[in-house]
Amino acid sequence: MRRALLSAVIAAAVLSLTGGIAAAHANYVKSNPAADARLTRPPTEVRVTFSEPPDARGSDLAVLDIDGKRVDVRDVALVSDEPNTLRVTLGAIADGGYLVSWTALSTVDGHVTKGAFGFALGDAPLPKIPDIGPSALPPTALEIAGRALSYAGMALLTGLAFFTMFIRVPASGAERRRERRLVIAGGAVLLLGSAFLLLGQGANIPGRLLGLLGLRALAGAAAIALVAVPARFLPEDARREAIAFLGLAAGLTATLVSHAAAVGDLGDVAVDYLHVMAISVWLGGVVAFSYVAMPSARGDDPRELGRTIWRFSLTALVAVAVIVTTGTLASFDRLVLFEDLVETPYGIALLAKIVLLVGLLGLGGLNLLVWGPRMRRGLAAGAQFWRGVMGESALFAGVILAAAFLTAFVPPAQASAAAFDETKHVSGIRVQLLAASTLPGRNRFVVRVQQGLTSITGAEKVALRFTMVEHDMGELELVAAERAPGEYVAEGSPTAMFGTWKAEVIVRLAGRSDVRALFTVPISPAAGQDATTKIVAVPPYQLIVFADPFQPQAGAPITINAVVVDAKGDPVLGKKLRAAFDGPATVAPLDAVENVAELGPGRYRFTVPGLEAGSWKVTIGVDGAGSGVYELVVLR
Amino acid sequence: MTRLISFVAATLVVATSFIAFAGTAAAHERRTVGPYQLVVGWLNEPAHVGFMNSLDLRVTDTRVTPAKAVEGLEKTLTVELRTGGLAPLPLTVTARFGAPGAYNGYVMPTATGTYIFTIKGKIESLDVNETFESGPGRFGDVESTDTLQYPNKVPMADDLGKRLSDLQGAVDQTRIFALAALVVGIVALGGAGMMVRRRS
Repeated sequence: MRRALLSAVIAAAVLSLTGGIAAAHANYVKSNPAADARLTRPPTEVRVTFSEPPDARGSDLAVLDIDGKRVDVRDVALVSDEPNTLRVTLGAIADGGYLVSWTALSTVDGHVTKGAFGFALGDAPLPKIPDIGPSALPPTALEIAGRALSYAGMALLTGLAFFTMFIRVPASGAERRRERRLVIAGGAVLLLGSAFLLLGQGANIPGRLLGLLGLRALAGAAAIALVAVPARFLPEDARREAIAFLGLAAGLTATLVSHAAAVGDLGDVAVDYLHVMAISVWLGGVVAFSYVAMPSARGDDPRELGRTIWRFSLTALVAVAVIVTTGTLASFDRLVLFEDLVETPYGIALLAKIVLLVGLLGLGGLNLLVWGPRMRRGLAAGAQFWRGVMGESALFAGVILAAAFLTAFVPPAQASAAAFDETKHVSGIRVQLLAASTLPGRNRFVVRVQQGLTSITGAEKVALRFTMVEHDMGELELVAAERAPGEYVAEGSPTAMFGTWKAEVIVRLAGRSDVRALFTVPISPAAGQDATTKIVAVPPYQLIVFADPFQPQAGAPITINAVVVDAKGDPVLGKKLRAAFDGPATVAPLDAVENVAELGPGRYRFTVPGLEAGSWKVTIGVDGAGSGVYELVVLR
Repeated sequence: MTRLISFVAATLVVATSFIAFAGTAAAHERRTVGPYQLVVGWLNEPAHVGFMNSLDLRVTDTRVTPAKAVEGLEKTLTVELRTGGLAPLPLTVTARFGAPGAYNGYVMPTATGTYIFTIKGKIESLDVNETFESGPGRFGDVESTDTLQYPNKVPMADDLGKRLSDLQGAVDQTRIFALAALVVGIVALGGAGMMVRRRS
């Protein structure tokens, strides 16, 4: 018992040391050039940052011109000065639209994600994006088989060890032989499953994944080897404790490459590990009961069998409580909507697993409440109990298969680079709204529309209508254009003030009424160094200066707006403003444009064709007064 | 029955107000098509679901000062109305009595939301095919009457339809549960019967 506890403590310690560093699918977070960027100067490289470390060997960034010809030099490599970022060098490129098609191989579990975005140089139109956002490839049969066998092996080793240590210690020689055969079977399927997963990854397998799968295979091999050690060198109870440790360790390797680890939170990893272990103890225990204990127990006194059933049922009840609790907690993190259960591959696999577990629970309940009590009273119910346990074992196989699909699919809740990301389900349509920023001013809104598992293409119209909650600012409308199947994009400045905005997304589809999804988008001032709106004192005036876009990128046009106000806060008209730029490169001083009719009273605008990446000091002078400095960071 | 009476009463009140305030145009879209200016909106704005309303179309010729009303277009123009992606409804265009250059096309919108008027045909010798969609900066969407009803809230038009549909869904769901309960009951009875037989 003490050794078992020690094993668990060691496993937990390993978990706490390694948890939280892993992820599951490498999703696009940002890029330079940004998606849909319009550049005035040709970039020398393309960088894409992902939500987790990509493996450079199995990943690719292909930059294609409008004719589909590659214009990069195929030197994809990880960037040392920016985490989770790949770069590729560009050759000399002319004005035109370019498509960046990326493939990212996760260093964590080897999952591959793909996606594409476009940018334009000069006045050329943006290229059409061939596919919607980041998307994971469907799992292969080899991967599913590898996962199912691995989980079955973990459950067999863990469940069997737990059962033989705490529920019923094998008493006869025949029972011990069956126990050893089951250990060999568990170790073999674990080894085989790990081998399938390694084969499925091929030569491009990331190092971390190789290490964890290698450990898993080693656990299987060690379990088989332990059976071969004579009892005089390794007593039965020590062997069982060692097998329990191997099962716990194998489960840990599964958790460390799971969706839970992708969240990067130790709590999520712990919840996932508890979930895996509870299922293993329960399901592996059912198989141990049916294969190891039942053949001997059938001839036992029904009262003794009834007591064994009682002990196992209590264990199963605790396991079910842990499974339901941890499963519910995990679902909150990985599902976006309740409808995900029937509208996403991940949700469907989860639903199948839940249904099978409910079936198992029903059969377990019969054992606990009907057959067990009957047997404890000395009545014959062994045959019914036996059939129930066989049924549970069959459902166990289904649960393992569902879990294999579940862990191979991408959960609906995925990391997104958007500052605002929310999904609504209206009239059978799934509407996702993403906003690039929650700062006031110009913004980019992406609407993704799906019905069931299908992206809705060719919507007659997708529009966004904005109204402010706190003040009557009227209603503003942006019409989105389809940039990829099921993905509609609109740009503009409808949310011009700090506060709460209602964004109503209207999707018009042929043959049905408009689908209207209402979102609440908080628009707030930026905090810290990200704030680009600054007050610059130029006595006797004050300048309110802000950049558009609010996070300028190198090579892309930047507009610097300045509002000149006097001591009372009233706008000052008819002034001449001049800006001098001091930064990594030289820019000739610029004069501001004042257009009261278009920009408003006291508003001035400097338009810069593009700046180098780095920190810039913009000295803005007002005629008849002094000057002030506005600091601007241009991103790479 | 009470709801029906309330509905009829509300319809009468709004129909009366419609007649009383006919001709007022709150928010309309103006568009220049060739030498003509078209002003399009709802005759009664804000437009509310479940109440009689009409296209309010005014056409003037801007080549002369002041702009001259263009008459006789009820014979040369056709107007279709649609909401969402649903099939359009052709409206009967009529000249408004006592208002030269103004035309009506009556309809009772039964759903809230965005509506689109498509105006086709000829204005004098000019071919036109223009689409006017309700929305911000144009003319108003059809709104719900929820905030206007007092003291009792009476479901109107599409609201009523939605409630009926929800009710039907709930009935279907109850039927499924009842059927499942029946199956469980029969199985339980069968099991109990078998146990009783074995004991005896």
